[in-house]
Amino acid sequence: MDLSFPAKSAGSTGVGEIVRELAVRDPSREVITAVHQIQAREAQWADMPGWVRPELVAAYREKGIEQLYSHQAEAVERVRRGRNVVVVTPTASGKTLCYNLPVLNAILENPDTRALYLFPTKALSQDQLDELHDLGRRLSDRLGVFTYDGDTPSDARRAVRRQGHIVISNPDMLHTGILPHHTKWTRLFENLRFVVIDELHMYRGVFGSHMANLLRRLRRIADFYGTPPQFIASSATIANPGELAARLLEAEVDVVSADGAPRGQKYFVFYNPPVVDRFLGIRRSYINETYRLARQFLERGLQTIVFANTRLHTEVLLTYLQQAYPRAPGAPQTICGYRGGYLPRERRQIERGLREGEIRAVVATNALELGIDIGSLDVAVLAGYPGTIASTWQRAGRAGRRTGASCAVLVASSRPLDQFIVRHPEYFFGASPESAYIRPDNPEILVNHLKCAAFELPIRDGEAFGGIDLPALCERLSEAGYLHRSGDYWHWTQESYPADAVSLRSVSSDNFVIIDETEAPQVIGEVDFTSALTTVHPKAIYIHAGQQYHVERMDFEQRKAYVRRVEVDHFTQAIRYTQIKILKVEESQPAPGPAVKAHGDVLVRSQVVGFKKIKFFTLENVGSGKLELPENEMHTTSYWVKLERALLDGLPFSTSEKQDGMFGLLHALESVACLLVMCDRMDLGATIGEGLPEAGAAPGWEGIPGMSGPADAPVFFEPTLHLYDAYPGGIGLSEPLYRCHDDLVAGTRELIAGCPCESGCPSCVGPAGETGSRAKEVALALLERLTAR
Amino acid sequence: MDEFFRIAALRPAGGGRAGVSRGRENRELLRRMLAAELEHNHLGRHLVLRSRIPGPGARAVGPRALRLLLPGAGPEAADPRNWIFLDTETTGLAGGTGTYAFLVGLARWEDDALVTEQFFMQDHSEEPSLLAAVARRLAGRPVLVTYNGKSFDWPLLETRYRMTRAAAPAAPAAHLDLLHPARQIWRFRLGSLALAELERHVLGLEREGDIPSSAIPGYYFDFLRGGPAEPIGAVFRHNRMDLRGLALLAGRVAEMLEDPERAGCEAAELYGLSRILQRRGESSLAGAACERALERGLPEEAERCALRELALHARRARDFGRACELWQKLVGDPRWGRLACEQLAVHYEHRARDPAQAARLVRRALVELEESARRGSIGREQYLGWHRRLRRRLERLARKLQG
Repeated sequence: MDLSFPAKSAGSTGVGEIVRELAVRDPSREVITAVHQIQAREAQWADMPGWVRPELVAAYREKGIEQLYSHQAEAVERVRRGRNVVVVTPTASGKTLCYNLPVLNAILENPDTRALYLFPTKALSQDQLDELHDLGRRLSDRLGVFTYDGDTPSDARRAVRRQGHIVISNPDMLHTGILPHHTKWTRLFENLRFVVIDELHMYRGVFGSHMANLLRRLRRIADFYGTPPQFIASSATIANPGELAARLLEAEVDVVSADGAPRGQKYFVFYNPPVVDRFLGIRRSYINETYRLARQFLERGLQTIVFANTRLHTEVLLTYLQQAYPRAPGAPQTICGYRGGYLPRERRQIERGLREGEIRAVVATNALELGIDIGSLDVAVLAGYPGTIASTWQRAGRAGRRTGASCAVLVASSRPLDQFIVRHPEYFFGASPESAYIRPDNPEILVNHLKCAAFELPIRDGEAFGGIDLPALCERLSEAGYLHRSGDYWHWTQESYPADAVSLRSVSSDNFVIIDETEAPQVIGEVDFTSALTTVHPKAIYIHAGQQYHVERMDFEQRKAYVRRVEVDHFTQAIRYTQIKILKVEESQPAPGPAVKAHGDVLVRSQVVGFKKIKFFTLENVGSGKLELPENEMHTTSYWVKLERALLDGLPFSTSEKQDGMFGLLHALESVACLLVMCDRMDLGATIGEGLPEAGAAPGWEGIPGMSGPADAPVFFEPTLHLYDAYPGGIGLSEPLYRCHDDLVAGTRELIAGCPCESGCPSCVGPAGETGSRAKEVALALLERLTAR
Repeated sequence: MDEFFRIAALRPAGGGRAGVSRGRENRELLRRMLAAELEHNHLGRHLVLRSRIPGPGARAVGPRALRLLLPGAGPEAADPRNWIFLDTETTGLAGGTGTYAFLVGLARWEDDALVTEQFFMQDHSEEPSLLAAVARRLAGRPVLVTYNGKSFDWPLLETRYRMTRAAAPAAPAAHLDLLHPARQIWRFRLGSLALAELERHVLGLEREGDIPSSAIPGYYFDFLRGGPAEPIGAVFRHNRMDLRGLALLAGRVAEMLEDPERAGCEAAELYGLSRILQRRGESSLAGAACERALERGLPEEAERCALRELALHARRARDFGRACELWQKLVGDPRWGRLACEQLAVHYEHRARDPAQAARLVRRALVELEESARRGSIGREQYLGWHRRLRRRLERLARKLQG
């Protein structure tokens, strides 16, 4: 076998050929369910505005930019007029110019002008720094552009604070490093004219709700220094960029969304792995199919990015591809992985390798979905539907040459949502992408930020902070010992530094450090608390950069996991057990069935209770183990349907068959719910509980969906199907679900009834072998009652 | 508001301080207990306590000590009566805009007594007037003396002035932070460099009935909520003792720097002084002090450091024989061993022209480097740097030996 790749970038002609070949081999269209062509498009040009300073015009001309795309011109004009602007355009359409041009122009007009750039991750800020330094060199030596993040050496920080015209940072640093020390940043805040927020669509759900509060804090501090800034944001394509921006900034925002950038021809292929067992509805593994497709592209010399939905699958695919193309001794690695948990230096190397073409393939998680500059690749292969239309387009956008053809392939897994999308391509290509929801007044999040705000600046009587009764809340915080009222102000009265206790990214700010003890102990990565429970529990196989590690022990106190390098033929998957308890009913109404639909507050307890060993390639279950790990508890909001006794009693099935049917129904409900409220699958949790007030229990498989199924479920009397917000405090999905209950059950019925399998498969109610032989039948019977008029 | 009752973020803060309330009479009690006065200015009012601590009085600072402690200071700095000592008590050590200096203690020498003035805010609303009063006292003082004030007290005060939008006092012409010389002088002799420890071991002063610093923020938070006045009284006392210790320590350090022999310095102190001299570029004096310290016998760790200093000193003075002799003593030392071997290898390679001996020393250095790595006493980057350097030298030596 020839181990080397064909010549570097054999040209984009290869793309069209492969697409044609694929289509020819599958005339029935069972596998290739769609080949969508996006035509090449010419650029829409506009003149450089007259007010742009000549030296800036010259700097851009040197970089080859003499004219602007139409959307860039519109954005900079609006900024010029003092409006808050959000620019919505796909990857690689020149969005950075939309903020760099007005900001640099303002600095050239008045050298005291300051701007703060916020990027959701450190990795993204590095790209910006390079771009701005390049422009800066062409403009003047005095332009100060600095990054300020956890990596900034302490002796350099003074210079950043004093001389930085543009300070590039991230929300976490603003939260813990800048705002609580704003007096050291007087120069910045007294002259803060612009705040640039890149990748605005990232600020959704829990992170977005934190961000909205962080921006409330930022505006308070800016007000203190008397300079309310203007905001310029950029976002990938989502359904509601204007609404999201307005909720985050709590101000009016203009949306600029017409894209004037040129693009080359592009194919978007939907690939449904062939069915191998029609009775069980089993298809070929989508992971293995992804691997096969990626190889076909690589054989033609096409630079390829493979996206997987989990870290685990990233590592599995990386292992396969690296085995297929072993590197020659001493030669550099041309196939790499990329995900959170890799060290920054490794990442920079990979990004550079991709831009320069030395790296021919990368297997990534959504970490590369963001605007990190890796240039444009020939092909993107998506292993599984990413969960939302928006991120599917974003990942697909990683492939796309300005000239010549490129291609994106979506390989469907057997999950219901994947199957729905791949079988209804018209839905995907016709639908608008998702909306991003945030709930800035989520009590847990808001109170934490209010504490930080009080630390930063005493809270004045008559001030507002979000939509809450501020005086009453301050009173409560005072009773709890956090604040003290003196004169017209509430002051912080704790020794601690409140920002340290609040993580913007997750519920808990604790990360586990992973230490490899094979030789001298060495830190190989980090994983957040919630993922740690499922990925680095004792006896787990943790895969990092294609290397397998056995987790020897987990130190909960110290938040450390100790691992040792191993080579085994399997990986592990955690089994999670979830309990739910209703705390407060917000709204409730009888529904057909008879059933009761409701939404309100719940307490969710979950625990990792064991794990399974799964063999590579065959994905056989080759063993399991039990675990005793601490429970995780959260308050959140939920939408639920209580199935009344009359409904269940009236069905001609045994108790255990009814249980199977309910689990099958829940499985399908969850998928349809994601589509209806347009949220990411990760944002919802699903479980079955008993009615009020006792908690019921339901085991669920963590990891590869489609493996869920009941184990030793207790007997239920009035079971309640819950779809809950997967974040503490909730992020606002439960009420919309409650409102669309009728559409939800009707859609679920369509999904199950329309599925070609005989008695249940992973694409509707779950795999027949695991959900019980009559699950599909029972689920349909239940749905018939639930949708009765 | 209901949902707020449940959430974790509102659970009472630690320390059991929530809910203390005994009205406002505690302020009156504190004033009477301390015999402190309410002082008013255009920004409001605050509490002031003035006291005199009888003592030895200020002694003039000699020219050498002045040069070493306050390089570049004007002649008026030589008179300690122009100095102002400052120490703050704060609501925490975290820094940032939410940490308050609720008690600011100032002191100066007047005849044979130390006169202290302590400014206290009974409530946050008294902060602006307190800060204004402190600014007035600091104005025109050429030298500010603190203990760790460069990184803590002074930046904190600057923050407070910005937060209250009060005009900050001009930074004093010179700021003497005694922590830095103290660290040099007493690092090897004392385990802790806390001011109270220095008072005990260096000045022979005992503090009676003092409170732990860590309890101070809690006492203040209690007081704000109507808690007892007595603990605040103890904080005033603690602050006065800090000011006294600071003033006396400043005198002692100046004395030692001016003339270590007359000041009766111990060997370890002498070695510490040599480090200060070295930093200020007084190389020959530094060398001499170091030699004397070594002759009198130093604790083990200090001795090794001193040997290294002297070896470097000898090398700078191009006294290579002496340098070799000193490095020889450090071969096998866990901290300086590999440096000693490397330095000796340089000597044997380039001056003694004995590549075989040089190669042996480099190999020894590599062994010691591995030892350090095994003990975990060397960072990864540093380890790699050393490794590269030593390997390169060894390869070159190998070529020389073959050629």
